[in-house]
Amino acid sequence: MKLYSISYDDQEALAAFARGQNIPFPLLSDVDSEVIRRYGVLNTELTPDDAVLYGIPFPGTFVTDNDGVVIAKFFYDSYKKRDSPEYLLDVALGRIELADDTPTTTGGDAEVKITAAVHGGRGTIRQGLMRKLVVRFELADGLHIYGPPVPHGMIATEVAMKGPPGLVILDPVLPPTEPLRIASPEIELEVWSGTVDIAIPFYATGELVSEVRPLDAESAIVEVEVRYQACDDQTCLLPRRETFELEVPLDVVDVPALGIHMGHGQREGTYDAGPHMKRLYERKASK
Amino acid sequence: MTVERDKHGFDAPVPLNHPARRGLPPGQSTGPEPGELLPGFVLPDAFGNPIDFHRDRGQSGAAVVFFRSAVW
Repeated sequence: MKLYSISYDDQEALAAFARGQNIPFPLLSDVDSEVIRRYGVLNTELTPDDAVLYGIPFPGTFVTDNDGVVIAKFFYDSYKKRDSPEYLLDVALGRIELADDTPTTTGGDAEVKITAAVHGGRGTIRQGLMRKLVVRFELADGLHIYGPPVPHGMIATEVAMKGPPGLVILDPVLPPTEPLRIASPEIELEVWSGTVDIAIPFYATGELVSEVRPLDAESAIVEVEVRYQACDDQTCLLPRRETFELEVPLDVVDVPALGIHMGHGQREGTYDAGPHMKRLYERKASK
Repeated sequence: MTVERDKHGFDAPVPLNHPARRGLPPGQSTGPEPGELLPGFVLPDAFGNPIDFHRDRGQSGAAVVFFRSAVW
């Protein structure tokens, strides 16, 4: 998959950014916001009266297949919410590729192996950056676990997550189930087999980790509770409930070396953004 | 500095009413939808090389990221 980025910055600013931050993919310069407009992503909450800001897009990402057709897009109600780059790869690959350098713990047994991991951005928690808790069930051949809904008395697979104040935890994303028909009594169940990933998206607000104050702590503890029952076509194993704890590093955000962002304990850019800001003012003032 | 936390719980180093903090309003469309061909474009990269999106990606899938600014 190839990655492209587009902003209304001029080439000089983008070149300094690319060199300073070691950006390996093309930073495309849309100084008149022509492509931004044509795509329909111009930030229409701003007007030419907003001078230097006018022309920026609502930030977001499109992912295409090999024919250039959109297969996913990511836009959020706040410009602070941003996807982990790994999500783009997940979409392209059609599966979640867990990295080996993120907070991870394992459980279960030989029949049902469970891995709980923080997915995206090297597993760090930063203000607004979207991450996923991924709970991966690896089921032995012939076994399945149940998705909702289940008849009374059966156990649907559940994954729940708890974190400190300021961690916003969204609803779990369940993979598609397969139908399993039971002849007597005649019922149809929804099951998963093989490798099953249940993902819980989450992000941090300023209460936990902010872009205007240094870190309050090095890490946060995230608790995960998993409930499931594995069965084959004849019998069921005992229902299981397991809890896991993950220690997840907190991190600041990357900010430009520009007065307004500096001195807040964040990771400041390696080059002076001041001259680029001055040029941006001049460009916008001339219109 | 007074930190003004927005309705989403996010902090930023400018006041709440600063135009830079205006986000996506409810119901706002955000360009091409899944199933549509991403529109072609030609834009210069940081070093002045014109990049023709569909020609450059060839037979490869792509991610196109729109971001606010590398300057501020």
